[in-house]
Amino acid sequence: MDQRVVDFIHALRAKGVRISLAESIDAMRCVEIAGVADKQFFRSALRASLVKEPRDLPTFDELFPRFFSLDTPPPLQQPGSGMSPEEREQLAQMLQQMLASLSPEQLRRLFEMMMTGQGMSGSQMRQFIDENTTATQMTTGFQPWATRRALRELQFDRLEQLLQELLQKLREAGVSEAALRQLEQEARENREALAQQIGKEVGNGLQQREAEERRRRPAEDLQDRPFEELKYQDDDDMRAIINRLAAQLRTRVALRQKRANKGILDAKSTIRANLRYSGVPLDIRHRRKHLKPRITVICDVSGSMRAVTGFMLMLVYALQDQISRTRPFVYYRTIADVQSDFQQLRPEDAIRVVPDRVQGGPWQTSLGSCLETFTRDHLDAVDRRTTVIFLGDGDDHMSPPNPRAFETIKRRAHRVVWFNPEPPYRWAREDNHMHIYGPMCDAVHHVSNLRQLVAAVDGLFS
Amino acid sequence: MFTTIGDVTAALSAQRYIPSDEIATTVFLAEKLGKPILAEGPAGVGKTELAKVWAAATGRDLIRLQCYEGLDETKALYEWEYAKQLLYTQLLRDKLNDLLAGVTTLAEAADRLAAEEDVFFSSRFMLPRPLLKAITSERPVTLLIDEIDRADAEFEAFLLEVLSDFQVSVPELGTIRARHQPMVLLTSNNTRELSEALKRRCLYLHVDYPTAEQELQIVNLKVPGLPPKLAQQAVELVQRLRGMDLKKHPSVSETIDWARALLELNARHLDRATIEKTLNVLLKFEGDLQRARRAMVRDEGDRARRERDEFGRPRRDDESGRFRGN
Repeated sequence: MDQRVVDFIHALRAKGVRISLAESIDAMRCVEIAGVADKQFFRSALRASLVKEPRDLPTFDELFPRFFSLDTPPPLQQPGSGMSPEEREQLAQMLQQMLASLSPEQLRRLFEMMMTGQGMSGSQMRQFIDENTTATQMTTGFQPWATRRALRELQFDRLEQLLQELLQKLREAGVSEAALRQLEQEARENREALAQQIGKEVGNGLQQREAEERRRRPAEDLQDRPFEELKYQDDDDMRAIINRLAAQLRTRVALRQKRANKGILDAKSTIRANLRYSGVPLDIRHRRKHLKPRITVICDVSGSMRAVTGFMLMLVYALQDQISRTRPFVYYRTIADVQSDFQQLRPEDAIRVVPDRVQGGPWQTSLGSCLETFTRDHLDAVDRRTTVIFLGDGDDHMSPPNPRAFETIKRRAHRVVWFNPEPPYRWAREDNHMHIYGPMCDAVHHVSNLRQLVAAVDGLFS
Repeated sequence: MFTTIGDVTAALSAQRYIPSDEIATTVFLAEKLGKPILAEGPAGVGKTELAKVWAAATGRDLIRLQCYEGLDETKALYEWEYAKQLLYTQLLRDKLNDLLAGVTTLAEAADRLAAEEDVFFSSRFMLPRPLLKAITSERPVTLLIDEIDRADAEFEAFLLEVLSDFQVSVPELGTIRARHQPMVLLTSNNTRELSEALKRRCLYLHVDYPTAEQELQIVNLKVPGLPPKLAQQAVELVQRLRGMDLKKHPSVSETIDWARALLELNARHLDRATIEKTLNVLLKFEGDLQRARRAMVRDEGDRARRERDEFGRPRRDDESGRFRGN
């Protein structure tokens, strides 16, 4: 049983559930207490000790029955229970004849198992499947499909035909019809049991393979890869990276705030702290200058910018506890306030829908007019505590540069920062107005990979 | 204390709390393993209530630490009572003079004072906050750390120390070990991700909205005067509202409040006027209210159409004119 639990934990890990060693020890202790008699209890015990994220619950629910369900394949039975000894002798002979001439080998083994009732153990069956089929080498872990494929490769459907042949021969040899019918019934039951066993072993094989692959996959550092190469496909990996980066940033910010004890004198706290020195101010306390920034992000969601925008928004939302207010905007040909999306959905889901909030297509970026709209409709998102972050390449294919609107935003904001994923030498090309907006910003950062993005975001908190 | 899960269920039920199987199992395991429980889930599904009934069912005292942004050790663990120390110094001045009488050198005076120093840094002048209270308590306690997701990450790290060893060190006094290991329940509304280190140390309990059946049981238990049929309808309506796309879904505590309101209003059945009057107990956003009202009007239209037969005559239906859950 312990081995089964360990296997189950491996399978969960393979599916991306984070389970530490300490937690697996806890699970074992819980299982000891819970016992295996009450299945519901057993299940809740494992769940409480292993699954710590609501989003991992479906994975648990999916895998649990595969490992601990009671419906093990029924054992095979020996066919021919309703026959007389002579008839059984005949059956054995006929079967020997048929088996001798039967090919291929794997079909012969299957037919033999079906007709004699002498099956294989789980591990033997696994080996048999691995040797004779490609089902467990499939790249997709979809069990029913793999099982069908295994059955096809074993020519499982020919068993019925062989059974009928055998029955025919026995009938010609004069075996009674009732005995034959019973034989047929028993053989069919055996066949079903075999099919179930094969399905189960194929499933186990797939899981094991998946677990191994997971372990083999190198933990490469994606930080220095350019954004274009980072596919936004493996959500879990990406979320893990972003969370790690966010945690690093948070620690850095906290340390910096602790060391920088500068701020105005906090009279109340100083008096209190120095009561123990009978009021002699030995220990001077300062009011912590812990002003959380307000951030307004204005992101380009044109095709080339979508990846970096996604990462930026993920990072900003992973750092929500360090920011007092975030107002996200996206622009293409038009500009839109997407705060409500982020309030209603989880950040990773919101990022997927926000590009649809604005109009635009290739070569239709219209930064100048978007700035105009922003200063007209959304200036309330900018006040003297707000850091405005522009995230974009500065391209503008449809409208003239709009330094006047930019100046309006800058005058109201605490700081204006520009994050640009393109290298500086491209900022002055045609249709790119970076050379106009750039000098007006308080800072311009070139962000082409995660490391640079994190460094730039770090700068916001100093 | 508990030998089977059935005991847990019975003990919690005796405190007028209806635990799901999962809750009962987790509480049972926590008792057996001495591990903290981390309960997550939407607001108002009875996470805090669980701590209260757990404490009551096991006869422990409940100590509650409400977390908020900026909570630190001096608020959660202990603080020296400086004012009291000062006051004592003033009052004991004569005594100090006596003590120092006949001293010739400064060093000697300092030595004598140092010998008495412990008086001032003793538990007499210590102001215990919830965590220290839970650890030093004479009686076994249940410690409720409420809304841990609101506290800062630093506080979470500090909490790990306390939760893993159940001991704290006060520099002036030394290490204080727990007399009885407290049972700990942490709750979180999932507003931010908690650190993995914290999750690792806890048993995890995801408390979700109850099923219709459980919720009806809860309503019957908490609002005993409510007619059964009305309770049934009310629960059905609430369950349906939870299925809608609302900004904030009604919680169990709101269902109970609403049931109480219906009882106070002496409502006999859920007609449209009653719902109109009391819906604001369930839904707290104007947008949600409007959406729910629209859905109800649409429903009635549908039903009116269904209740007329092909000749436009009303079909016989004993529930016509009332709002039904489904």
